Amino acid sequence: MHPEKQKHAFEPKIIAFVCTWCTYAGADLAGTSRMQYPSNVRVLKFPCTGRIDPVFILKAFQQGADGVLVSGCHPGDCHYIAGNFHARRRFAAFRKLLEFVGVDLNRLQFSWVSAAEGGKWVEVVTDLTEKVRAMGLMTEFKELALEEQWSGTIDTPELKEAYDQI
Amino acid sequence: MTQPIDTSIYAAVTEAIRSEAKRILSEGQVSAIVGYAVARRKGSAQPIVISDAADVSKLIFTPACVNNLSVYLTKAKKEIPKNGKIGIVVKGCDLKALVGLMGESQLKREDLFLIGVPCAGVLGSVLQPDTELTSDTIASKCRECGERLPQGCDFVPSVTLPATPEQEQIYAAEIARLEALTPAERWAYWKEQFSKCIKCYACRQVCPFCFCEQCLCDRNKPQMVETTPRPAGNFAWHVIRAMHLAGRCAGCAECERVCPMDIPLNLLNRKMAKELKELYDYEAGFEVNDKGPLASYDDKDDQSFIK
Amino acid sequence: MQKFISQQNLNTLLDKLIAEGKRVVAPRMNAGTVLYEPLTAAAELVTDQLPRRSGKEAFFPLCEDIMSYRKEGQQVTLTDIDPARFPETVLVGVRPCDAAAIPVLDAVFSWDYKDEFFLERRRKTTIVGLACTQADDACFCSAVGLSPGEPKGADLFLTPVEGGGYSCETHSDKGEALINNHKDLFAETNGEKALPLAQPQTEAFDLQKVKAWLDEHFENPAWDSIATRCVGCGACAFVCPACHCFDIVDEGTEKSGKRRKNWDACGFWKFTHHASGHNPRDQQPKRYRNRIMHKFKYYDDKFGQTLCTGCGRCIRLCPVGIDIAGIIQEIEKQVKVKVE
Repeated sequence: MHPEKQKHAFEPKIIAFVCTWCTYAGADLAGTSRMQYPSNVRVLKFPCTGRIDPVFILKAFQQGADGVLVSGCHPGDCHYIAGNFHARRRFAAFRKLLEFVGVDLNRLQFSWVSAAEGGKWVEVVTDLTEKVRAMGLMTEFKELALEEQWSGTIDTPELKEAYDQI
Repeated sequence: MTQPIDTSIYAAVTEAIRSEAKRILSEGQVSAIVGYAVARRKGSAQPIVISDAADVSKLIFTPACVNNLSVYLTKAKKEIPKNGKIGIVVKGCDLKALVGLMGESQLKREDLFLIGVPCAGVLGSVLQPDTELTSDTIASKCRECGERLPQGCDFVPSVTLPATPEQEQIYAAEIARLEALTPAERWAYWKEQFSKCIKCYACRQVCPFCFCEQCLCDRNKPQMVETTPRPAGNFAWHVIRAMHLAGRCAGCAECERVCPMDIPLNLLNRKMAKELKELYDYEAGFEVNDKGPLASYDDKDDQSFIK
Repeated sequence: MQKFISQQNLNTLLDKLIAEGKRVVAPRMNAGTVLYEPLTAAAELVTDQLPRRSGKEAFFPLCEDIMSYRKEGQQVTLTDIDPARFPETVLVGVRPCDAAAIPVLDAVFSWDYKDEFFLERRRKTTIVGLACTQADDACFCSAVGLSPGEPKGADLFLTPVEGGGYSCETHSDKGEALINNHKDLFAETNGEKALPLAQPQTEAFDLQKVKAWLDEHFENPAWDSIATRCVGCGACAFVCPACHCFDIVDEGTEKSGKRRKNWDACGFWKFTHHASGHNPRDQQPKRYRNRIMHKFKYYDDKFGQTLCTGCGRCIRLCPVGIDIAGIIQEIEKQVKVKVE
C-alpha cells in the first residue's frame, strides 16, 4: 500500500556518499522497514567517511548533482576507530573553502546516521531533497562546464538561438 | 601614501652570508649551499646552488630575492644532491615552510645548515626587478610578516632590523571583503580569476608542499580533475590545490607571485589558514608538528554543521 | 600601400568590425591582466602594455575541441569539428615579437602534416601589427634579428606617429582588403613623423655561432648550471609566442565526451614520460636543454630560422628567474673562448 506519490516540477539529483558500516546499513534498514523516502538520492558506498575525498564532492557537483550528502558513523562508532573524526575535520575545512569560492552550503549536508537509525536516514534525505528542490537546479557548475576559452570557441549560431529561446 | 622601506641592512646581510658560506663550505660542514645570486637583468636575482667556496661571492641578498628556496630541498627536486648536509639561505617566511617539511618527515633538521636572513621585506613582483622597495611595491605577505628575524637558525647575521612602518593588511582586508559578498558574487569573482588560468602549474611547481611524486591532477585513472585549461577544470584544480594545502601552507605566497596570470592564489591559502586557526587553533610553520590539523583530531571538535 | 588612421578612426574601425560580426581580438584588461581577448567595444583596447600571453592563441587555442563522441547502447557516434565554424577574426595591436612568431608557427603547422585547425583559423584571421615605443631590459627582439618596427607576420602594420594616430603599411592582400573595405576611415599619409621606436638593450646574438655550439654540446655540464634551478612548470612555454607543442586528451564520461587539443610544455616531467614508466628526459636540466635546443637548433635545422622572437615574456615570468637571453649570451661567450 504505497501512498500516492506527489508530482513535482523539479526533481533534484542528490548524491549521497555513505560509509558501509553505519549509514549504508541505516539506509538498508529504512528500506527493509518499508519506510518511504525520496528516490532522488543516489547512494555511493565507501568503506568509511575517512575514505571520502573532498574531490569526490567537487566531482559530484561537476557531474550534475544538485545536492550532496555525506554520512557516516556517529563519533566513537567508527569501524576503523577514527576515520570519521578525520573526516569531520576535513569536511569542516572543505565546506569553508566551498563557501569561499561561492558554493551555496545549503546544497551540502553532513550527517551521522547509525545502522539503527533508518528513521534518521529518511529524515535527512527528505530534508535535503526538499531544501534543494526549493533552491532549484544547481546551475553554477553546469554553466561552468559549458564554458570554453575564447580561443577555442566556434561559431554555433543555431546553439545560441536555441539557448536564447530558453 | 608611498613610504620608502629601509633595506640598508641588505648589504651587510650579503657580506655576512658570503663569509659564513665560505666558512662552512671550506670547513666541509656542508656539501652545497642553496642561495640567491645576481641575474642578468638590472636588480634581478635568481636561485643558485654552489658547492665551491670560490663561488661564495656570487651569493647576495636584495629585495629581489623573492624565491622560497626550500622547494629545492623537497623530493620533487631530484637535481639537488641530497647527500650530506646542505646549507640554505632562508627568510622568516621560507623557514616556516622548512618547519612544515620537517613535520611531514620530508627533511631532517640535522641535514640542514640554516643561514637565516633578517628581512625587511621583498618585492611583490619581479616582472621589473629594478624596482625600489616601498610600501607600494612590497609583497603583500611582507605587510603582515611577524617573522622578520628567523628563529632557530644555525647562523643569522647580526644586524639591527630597521623599524618597518605599519602597513595595511591586504589579505585580511580582501578576505573580509569577499566574505561579505553573496555566494553568487563570490562565485563570479573566482570564476573570472580562474578562467585566466592556463594550467602551467607554476603554482604547484614552486610550492614547497607540492612534493607528491605524482600529482592527483596528473593522473588519468581515475581522472579526478580535468586537465584541460577550461574554466571547469581550472576551478576544480584551484579548489583541490587549496584543500591539499590547508593546514600546511605557511604563507610564502610563491604561488601567487609566480602566477603568470595574476590569480590571487594566496587568498585561498590565507582563507584556509584563517579557518583552521579559528576551528582548531592551529597555525602552520611555527613548530615541528608531526601531525597537521587535518591529519589529527579531537573528540570534541566542532560538529555543529553535521546533522 | 601606405595610409594614415587617427586613433578615433581606428576605434571606429574596430567597432564597425565588431558590429559586422567579426571577432576582434586585441589586448584588453581581464581581471587585472592584459591579455589578447575578443573586444566587445573598441574602447577596451589597451595599447601601452605587452599582453601576458601571446597572439598565437588566435590560431592555436589554449584548448580546443577536435572531436566529440556519444555512446547510446551499442551505437557510437563520432562528430568532427567543422573548421567552417571558426569565426572570422581580426587580431589587432599585435606586437612585432608576437606577429613575427606567426610565420614561424605557419611553417610547423603546414609542414608534412597540414593542421586544418591551425590553417583554417589562420586563413580567417587578419593581423594588424603595432610597433613598440617602449621596451624593458627583458625585451630582446633586436638580438634575434627583429626590431620594434618589424612588420613580419602582419597584414597591416601600424606605427604610432607624433600628434596621435598611426601610419599604416599593408603587407598582404588581407591588409589591403581591410583598408579598401573601410576607405573612409583611412587618410592619405601627409608626412607624419613616426614616434621614436623602442630600443631594446640586448646586443644582437650571433645565432650561427650559438647553433654551432649547440650542435656540438648536447652533453655538457653547462646544462646543469643553467637549469638545476628550473622547477619544471610550463610558464615559459605557455606565454611564448612561438612554442607550439600540444597534447591530445579525451575527456568525458563513458556516455559522451570530447577529444581536446591542449597546450603542452617541454618543462613538464610528463612531457616525455612513457607509458612504460621510463622517462628519457629524467631530470629537469635535460628538459630545459630541450627548450634551448628546440628554439636555437632543432627548429633551425628543419626550417632555417630561430624559434624565438625575443618578446622576453619567459624572462619576466620565470618563477626562478631563468633568463634565456642571458643563457644565449653565455653560450656565445663559450664559443668565443673556444675560438681564441
